[in-house]
Amino acid sequence: MTAARGELIAIEGVTKRYLTSSGPVEALHDVSLSVGEGDFCTLIGPSGCGKSTLLGMLGGLVAPDEGRLLVDGQPVTTPDPRRVATVFQDAGLFPWRTALQNVEFGLELQGVPAARRRRTASELLGPLGLSGFAEKYPRELSGGMKQRVAIGRALAIDAKILLMDEPFGALDEQTRVLMGEWLLDIWRRTRKTVIFVTHSLHEALFLSTRVAVMTARPGRIKSILELSMEYPRSVESPEMAALRAKLWSEIREESLRAMR
Amino acid sequence: MRVLWLRLGLLAALLAVWEVAGRAANPLLAVPPSAVLPALRDLLLLRSYPELPASLWLTLREIGAAYMLAVAAGLGCGFVLGMHRLVGRVWGPMLAALYAVPAVVWYPSLMLFFGLDAASKIAFGFLLGFFPITLSVLAGVRQVNPQFVTVARAYGAGAVTVFRRVMLPSMLFTLVGGLRTGLALCVIGVIVGEILGSKAGIGALINHAYGLLRTADYVALVLVTLLLVVGSDVLASLLERRARQWTE
Ligand SMILES: Nc1ncnc2c1ncn2[C@@H]1O[C@H](COP(=O)(O)OP(=O)(O)O)[C@@H](O)[C@H]1O
Ligand SMILES: [Mg+2]
Repeated sequence: MTAARGELIAIEGVTKRYLTSSGPVEALHDVSLSVGEGDFCTLIGPSGCGKSTLLGMLGGLVAPDEGRLLVDGQPVTTPDPRRVATVFQDAGLFPWRTALQNVEFGLELQGVPAARRRRTASELLGPLGLSGFAEKYPRELSGGMKQRVAIGRALAIDAKILLMDEPFGALDEQTRVLMGEWLLDIWRRTRKTVIFVTHSLHEALFLSTRVAVMTARPGRIKSILELSMEYPRSVESPEMAALRAKLWSEIREESLRAMR
Repeated sequence: MRVLWLRLGLLAALLAVWEVAGRAANPLLAVPPSAVLPALRDLLLLRSYPELPASLWLTLREIGAAYMLAVAAGLGCGFVLGMHRLVGRVWGPMLAALYAVPAVVWYPSLMLFFGLDAASKIAFGFLLGFFPITLSVLAGVRQVNPQFVTVARAYGAGAVTVFRRVMLPSMLFTLVGGLRTGLALCVIGVIVGEILGSKAGIGALINHAYGLLRTADYVALVLVTLLLVVGSDVLASLLERRARQWTE
């Protein structure tokens, strides 16, 4: 599974500073990371270490102050929904659109004719477990359903890169585990390249082909863990337990630093 | 249904009180409903004021002109102030302060400037309607969740698409509310302008009847004006409902 894949995403020496009322804040410092085609790469690190900023830069929404980001060898300057689709931290569904219309949104912007985008979106609702909910508005959906609609909106445009910013962060533990299994299934079928942000060690170990641990702010890549175990993984295996302990000790150190 | 009956009951009670009080008072100052009815009939049959249709038509045109100007200027100013943070920070508070000034104080200067004809009424209606529309756009722009703008941009939206697909639906309720208030104030502005000084329009007729102490005619004219105001508000509320259905 980890056979040589082509590099799809290259992050090269990226630094980002935000100007705030209390002076400049360095969110990311000299971050470099390479992600291969078909990878499931998880970013994990304390809050405020710049994970969302990094995803924003990959999505072309935030410009780096130094360094550059390449997708398919081309620098990212503006959002390019044909290559990159994003699932945002708190779903970000439009409340004035139904579930189906939300899923259709990206296709609509790309000028896909109404009948065709409706069909594409409707076909997605089944695997999303939302068959009976096409005409429901976001306020009528549970947290897990909203997240699945947001994921559907990202899948609908069929970009080969999927950026997911703590997509299950607001869900309860049980729903989270099920959503993780579901996402794994989707990823293995669609073979997309996923960059996934989470705070959950379980999610990171259960889903990823590699895990990048980030330092407390200013965010840097502290270490990278390659995971080559077969899917579906059992979190109970001794190998996983060892990896989990290792990951935890690294994250613990950074979380402690972030708390100070 | 019960609300309707209660409303009708209340109306009947008010009319009864008015009748009793009107009969007791000086007939020059107060008239009971029983005296208003014949006056209303004479008015609607164009016996007392044959120029009623022409006057109503003039007033309606003044309201239309004032409202169109108020909508155009209100939307324009609102969006410019709302989109440019610095300009908004400079002008927003001044606008709110101006809105708090009782608008009638501007009227004498408007009459001096625009004369006794329609222009000064349009200007006054415009002045009243402009502020709520502008302020509603400002409030609406502030209501737009920046995350929605980010989402739309990530999916490829440019400025125009962001405006159409995110800003308009986000602010629609507030905007439509402002447009409705604006219309009501334009109607008030034009009619008050006519009453305060004019040669034509429904307000001029009211002024005439009132000046000659033709109290029954005066009340009949007020009832017709009331119909105009209520009618415009019903129209606005219908449009508001349509707008709501459109966003849902
Ligand atoms: N638009 C912004 N303006 C100013 N500061 C920001 C902005 N976005 C993020 N930051 C700051 O940058 C740091 C990293 O933020 P973020 O990328 O959201 O971290 P994470 O997603 O890892 O929690 C935080 O300290 C945050 O306060
Ligand atoms: Mg974040």
